[in-house]
Amino acid sequence: MKNKWLGVMLSKEDIVMGKKPLAVLEQIKESLDSLKEKLDVLIDVQKAGCRGTVPSDTPTMDVMTLLNMPDHLRKTAITICRNGRATAEQVAEQTNRARAVESSYLNQLVTMGYVKKQRKGRKAYFYVAME
Amino acid sequence: MSKIIAVHSYKGGTGKTSISVNLAATFVRQGKKVALFDLDFRAPSLFAILQCEKEGKTWLNDYLDYKCEINQVLVDISPRIPNAGKFYAGPADPSTESMRYMTTRNSNWEMHALKRLMTLKKSLIKEQNFDYIIFDTSPGLQFSSMNAIAAADFIVVTTTGDCSDVNGTKRMLNDFYDVMFENKTGLVLNKVIDPAKYGTEELAQKVKEEYKVPLLCVIPCFCEVTQAKGQYLFPQDKPNHQFTNILTKMATSIENM
Repeated sequence: MKNKWLGVMLSKEDIVMGKKPLAVLEQIKESLDSLKEKLDVLIDVQKAGCRGTVPSDTPTMDVMTLLNMPDHLRKTAITICRNGRATAEQVAEQTNRARAVESSYLNQLVTMGYVKKQRKGRKAYFYVAME
Repeated sequence: MSKIIAVHSYKGGTGKTSISVNLAATFVRQGKKVALFDLDFRAPSLFAILQCEKEGKTWLNDYLDYKCEINQVLVDISPRIPNAGKFYAGPADPSTESMRYMTTRNSNWEMHALKRLMTLKKSLIKEQNFDYIIFDTSPGLQFSSMNAIAAADFIVVTTTGDCSDVNGTKRMLNDFYDVMFENKTGLVLNKVIDPAKYGTEELAQKVKEEYKVPLLCVIPCFCEVTQAKGQYLFPQDKPNHQFTNILTKMATSIENM
């Protein structure tokens, strides 16, 4: 008999024996990260005082816009510009900041409309939104 | 090691083009493979200085505009410095229509231009083994210059003793080079009259205090440098000139930064 929990098939034996495969824990972590990202976006939207998730007009992330960004976001934004496309982990490696921090900043940039996000399997890729 | 160097200043006439061209020539003389680009789209000058007016008529502007690839822009001027490295120039389109076109580009276009400049690191340095890319920029806060600065690893800021320039340069250094892009920056004091009256150490200390960036070099006011435009490349044609010696030291400092 198998239970489906968080998208992972577990055998009854696994649960009874207390054997939680690493894959399950990883899956839980991924799901929590994903939830956190969604919450961050919702919080940002609330803070910005608008109801829509993403502004309808795609703003451009040109160099003058970068100049006007707060320091912490600019660092993330420039890293995305340099890489073209990257995961939060790849950005974190280059900025020497924590992955979770970069994930939060990247999602703020997504909310602001400067960066687009694409999920591929368990990974989320961020790239500059260009017409 | 810094690979992409942007030469910038607050005001015009501080010697950006002379320094860019001759710094590039210095690296070439040392056996390096160098590409020098003109990012002063409002007042292009590289094509005239290096006498590389093109037949094919594809310019750096066309590359930024996705109309051609970078190798169609590069002009091989290596024969100017025989038995050395490789020297390529990427001039900007000097036609009036083009200058007008460039002044009317919107921020979306400039965003793509920044992406195109950032791509050079991959296409030229990683794939074609260029040692250095040098951007000669236009003065002040302009899209093309800011794009060059954002795409560069190292910024050479040139300044003269002019008080309006000193003030603006300080503001630029404080407001956006280091703080905004976290680039490495070095200052060149150019056209200094009678530099011997200041001690080298004393001057370096003063620059560090005033501008908060390292002093790369002090260049005395040489009439022959100002008048040389196009006639000769100092590292090749005037190897014993003081300007050549200063450039060699500057190249070493940049290489070690």
